[in-house]
Parts: sequence; C-alpha cells; structure tokens
Amino acid sequence: MVDLPSPTQPGTIDAIAPESARRVRLRRFKELAAKVLSNPATVLGFVIIFAMLFMAIFAPWLVAPNVPDPYQMPRDWAATRMPPGTPGHPLGTTNEGGDVFYGVVWGTRMSLQLSLIVVFSTVVIGSIIGSLAAYFGGKVDEFLMRVVDVFLSIPELIFALAIAAILGPSFGNIMFALIVVFWVKYARIMRARVIQIKGSEYIDAARIIGDSNINIYLRDILPNSFTPVMVQATLDMGNVVLIAATLSFIGLGQAGIAEWGVLVSEGQAGIASGRWWASTFPGLMIFLWALAFNLVGDGLRDALDPRTEGR
Amino acid sequence: MMGHLETDMADAVRTAPATVASVRDLKVHFAAKRGVVHAVDGVSFDIRDGETLGLVGETGCGKSVTGRSFLRLLPVPPGILAGGSVTFRPHALCEDCDGAGCDACGCTGRKAVVCPSCRGQGCATCDGTGAETIDLLKIDTETLRKLRGDRVAMIFQDPGKALNPTLTIGQQVAEVFLQHRTDELIELAGLSPETGGALRRFARQDHRFGDGILLSLPPFRGQRRRIQAALDKMVARALAETQVPNPASLMDRYPHELSGGMRQRVMIAQALACNPDLLIADEPTTALDVTVEARILELIRDLQMRRRSSVLYISHDLSLVRRICDRVAVMYAGRVVEIGPTAEVFRNPRHPYTRGLLAAVPTADTPRGGLAAIKGTVPELVDPPAACRFAGRCRHETEACRRFDPTLEPVSETHAVACFIDHPAPEGDQPSFERITE
Repeated sequence: MVDLPSPTQPGTIDAIAPESARRVRLRRFKELAAKVLSNPATVLGFVIIFAMLFMAIFAPWLVAPNVPDPYQMPRDWAATRMPPGTPGHPLGTTNEGGDVFYGVVWGTRMSLQLSLIVVFSTVVIGSIIGSLAAYFGGKVDEFLMRVVDVFLSIPELIFALAIAAILGPSFGNIMFALIVVFWVKYARIMRARVIQIKGSEYIDAARIIGDSNINIYLRDILPNSFTPVMVQATLDMGNVVLIAATLSFIGLGQAGIAEWGVLVSEGQAGIASGRWWASTFPGLMIFLWALAFNLVGDGLRDALDPRTEGR
Repeated sequence: MMGHLETDMADAVRTAPATVASVRDLKVHFAAKRGVVHAVDGVSFDIRDGETLGLVGETGCGKSVTGRSFLRLLPVPPGILAGGSVTFRPHALCEDCDGAGCDACGCTGRKAVVCPSCRGQGCATCDGTGAETIDLLKIDTETLRKLRGDRVAMIFQDPGKALNPTLTIGQQVAEVFLQHRTDELIELAGLSPETGGALRRFARQDHRFGDGILLSLPPFRGQRRRIQAALDKMVARALAETQVPNPASLMDRYPHELSGGMRQRVMIAQALACNPDLLIADEPTTALDVTVEARILELIRDLQMRRRSSVLYISHDLSLVRRICDRVAVMYAGRVVEIGPTAEVFRNPRHPYTRGLLAAVPTADTPRGGLAAIKGTVPELVDPPAACRFAGRCRHETEACRRFDPTLEPVSETHAVACFIDHPAPEGDQPSFERITE
C-alpha cells in the first residue's frame, strides 16, 4: 500500500524514471512465478513436464530415429519379447520386436505434438465462439450456446470415439476428433467470463474515457477473461493425451506408430504371460504426463485466483 | 474553432447562456418482466458553467441513471432512452485571458465554443445562441466516443472496480491521452506534426498487424521510444496534479497494490486529464473512509477551481452536498422534486420530501433516537399513475395529490419545487405548510 501524501506536499514530476513496459511485465511474471513455485506439488509437475519436454526435443539424440518415418516403431525381429535390461533394448521389446524405450521417447514427441495442436486449436475456436456469443448476446448467443449444449450432451469419450471410428483409424483423425470434442468447454468458459467482464465497472470506465470497442476487447476484456481459459488449457494438455491413448488402446490408433496408447494396446497381450514391461512403461508415461499437467494446472489456478492473494 | 473569431461572433458567444449542459424532460425506462420501469421520468435541469450541481436522492431514485445518460452509458437493452434531450455546450478557456477572467468572457475565464454551422450567428442547431450545442442522446457513437473522457468525464463510486486489474496505472491513464491527445503527444515527442503511418497509429492506440515489427526497426524504434517517453511525461503530470507521492513509481503499479484513496486519485487524474467541461461524479467518495473522503473532495474542488470545469455531483449524502455544491437538485422516484441554490434549499426546503430527507440527517446535536425516518418506501416505478410520486408517504397529502401530477414550478427566481403546497392544484384541496410546522 502506498501512503497518502499530505496535501502540502505535492508529488514531483521531475523524477520520471518509469520502468519500461517490458520490465513491468517481467516483474509481474516474477511475482507470479514465485507464487506458483511456492507449491511443491506444482514444482513436481513442472519437473516432470520439463523432463518430458527434454525427451521430446532431444529424441533423435536419445534414440536414433527410425528411417524413413521416425514415428513408426522400428522392428527388430531378431529380438522379440526381450525383458528390460537387454543390451540395445533398455526397457525390453514387444511381441513384434518393437523397442519399448524407442516408443517411450518418440511417444513423448507425438504426445506433445498432439496436445499442443489440439489445445491450441480448441482454445482459439472456443475463445472466438465464446466471445462472439457474449459480445452479440441475444439470438447469436442463444444459437451458439445451444450448439454447445448439443456437443456437451454427448460424453466426450464416446463422442470422440464415434468421430474417430467413422473417419477410420489414424492419428490425424484422433486429433480431429479431440478438437471437435474439446472446443465447447472453452466456448463456455470464455462466454461466461466475457459476460462477467463486460458488466464490470472498468469496462464502463474505459468507455467513459472514449476507448473504442476493439481496444476495449483487446486490452480490457481479453486479458481478464483469459486466466480460466489458460488453466483449463493446461489441464487439457493432460486430458487430451489420456483420451487419445484410450482411443488408440481400443484400436482407433494407427497401428505400429510410436504412440503410448498404441504401445499399451500392443503390450497387453503379454501381461498375462508375465511380459509386463511392454504395457507398463508407456502406461507409466501416460500417467506421469496427465499427472504433471494436472498438478501444474491446479497450481496455476490457485496462483491466479485473486482470492488466494497473499496466502 | 476558436481564434478566428470576428468581433461580432465573439459578441454572440458572449451573450450565450452560461450553461454547460441542459437536461430536458429526460426519460429512461427499463423493460422488466412486470412492465416498464420509469426509472427516470421527465427530469429537467441545467448545469451552469463552472458550478457544482448536487443531485441527491435515495437509492433507486434514478440519480445514477441520470448521470449515466450524459454519456449514454446505460445497458441497452433493458434500458431505453424513452425521450428528452441532454444538450451539451463545449467550453474552452478564453484565449484573451487564458482562464484568468476578463471582460470578453464575463470574468469566468471560459467561453462557449462557437457553433460550427452558423459561426456564432445563431441558427436552429444551436437554438439561436451561437454556441456549439450537442445533443448527447442523438449524436452518433463515434462523435460521442470523442467527447467521452475529453469533454465529458466521469468518476465512479468504487475505484477498486473501475480500474482494469491487468493493466498498470500508467497504462490506464495513458489511454486517455492516446484516445484524445494524439497530436499533443506527437508534438511533445518532438516529431513533425505530419507524422503518419505506424507511428501515428501507435500514438492513437490503433494497432494494425505488422506495426509492432515495423516499430521495432531502427528509424522508428527511437521515435516510438520518444512517443512513449512523452506519454509517460503526460501521465506523470496528470498523476502529479492529484498530489500523489512519486507519480513515476505509481505508474508501474497495478490497481491491487494501491489503497482505495490512491485508486480514486488515479480515477480523478484520468477523468481530469483532458480538462473536461463537465465532470460527472457518481458518489466518488462513498467507498472511502471519512478522512480520505475529505481529501478527495478537496482535490476535486481544487482541480475544478483551477480548470473551471462544471461538476454534476451525485450523492445521497446531504451534509456533503451542502458543503461542496453550489446548487442542489433533489430527486425522488425518477423526478426532480426540488432544485435551487444549496443554501436556500437547506435553509428553506419547500418539498415535504426534502424536509423529510433533511430531518433524517444525523447531526452532532441530534438527541439519541431523534432521527426522523420517512415512513414507507419508494414506490415501484412500473407504469406509475398520474399522481404525485410522494403521495402515500407524505404527511401533507390531499385528494389533489392523488389525482394530479405536480410539475416543477418556481417559488423564487432560483428555486423551484414540484409540490401543490406552493402551487395550487388544478382543483381540490391544497395542502398547507401550517401542518408541516405543527
């Protein structure tokens, strides 16, 4: 809090040394980072995410990429069903001689691609539709929100499954199905936020000083509406991979690609005969991925929630 | 517009009425489920140049809606501007005396801006006054947008809610200058007035795709910095006017880092940054404690004196209005029931409602339990009947009050009241004051 000045001591304007906008932003970011990192669970989430990112980025250096398509599992027909620790196959091999370690590493890359593309597209589509509904209101709002209701009335897994099944088993189709299923959440969140912000007094205050509509949207409404969208996006980074893995597991994935769900599905036949590794390691990766993004998402939500200010 | 006046035009302006804004028969309705709520129902008053007009009344009497109508800041729907006009006459500092007060402007230091359509000769658009006259309820949105924050400004009740939590104080105050003072900004930055393109768009906060990249390249980069520095200077100056300590460091703070009084100072700095002719203050100190309130009021008064702005001060606090307002308008149930100079209204209130309000104000002398609440509550304003709105709560009501609607009639040259006490009803008994003073 800044002290009130006495009326006899007017503020001076000689000492104008405002920080640059960049430095202000940096300070703000530092404050937020300190708050987020004060929660050990969130830090754990970040550590896992960074490890995953490292794996995804340096995949070609960790395991030599398969030629011609690095996202296809390499097949070593001379070494099928090898347990973990086998030379050349640190995490063992599958029934078809696929290297589990290769699948884990390149699967991270696939998951990252998948979740980034799906989350980015759904955030953009959802935000635009939600903002339009909130901005225009009335019939536009009514129509768009009924469409959203229709989408929400079908369980997301079943819906994604149906779309992916109609389009045929392929990784791209899974992505498409997920985008179709996930955008509605963002439309809803965005609409609710924009309506709330639109009614707030600082929007009136911005109108009072003669701000244009587009400026009010970009500078006042959007930044203030985006926080819950960001939190949901972080949580969905994990959810998307979970659902994609589920779809792959039940056979809608592209057979033979280095994708965790496909690998778990491929390895499940061996679990009964004691070959646990082919399913366990990719499964563990799915678990860690979803866990990490959920931890970070929850941490972000707490840090960004003004009600936890100063706690 | 100013400066090129010939003498006869200046004469025309000199005789122009010294009102900054006139509200005439303003009607604002709200569509509700049970019918149409007549929130503001035929309100008329003038705001004279340089004066502080207090608008007082209970919660829900329509005083805030009236204030917001000046800037067309009503939620539409459900709000409907059902009729009337709010005419606004922009004023400018008299260039002969630079605000000091001289003969040309009748010693107020300010002159009305000359009507652009008749150049001060008097025409239909300016009601023959020769002064530029704008109907705030009819002009198009773009013209209105240019007036908002520049010629007419507003301060809200709760400064905590009126500042965007994601922008720094500096960024928010800068917005006013970017919207209304682009030319001055470019001039202060030492750039040619013909500066155009991306730089001008930057100084107007009208970003286009690609501008960001262009402005980060060498020739523009430095110029952009100069505009930014000039902007910071203007903002710091505006903040310094409100006597905040160290305005430069305040600029980089976010609203949540400031106390309520500081936030209200920021709002005031923003509102007065462009020297508005009219400041609408909607209970600006209600959310503040008494000591801070006193300082904020002093500040508004001081800035108003220096800039000679007019203020419409909306409040429910009578003792406060008595201290700071030149004239006061009392509103009840969407109507102005009494208007006059503050001293006169407080000394000699004519309307029973005003009397009731004044009796309900606690003073240090009031004995415990001595406050007189007005019995009953404000009537619902859904399709009101033609009768005095105060009938039913009034101790002096007669048959006439229930059948006729009193209009605002003068009781003296400056004082007007809407009650049959002073003006005989078309027929029927007339309530009398003897019963008030019983």
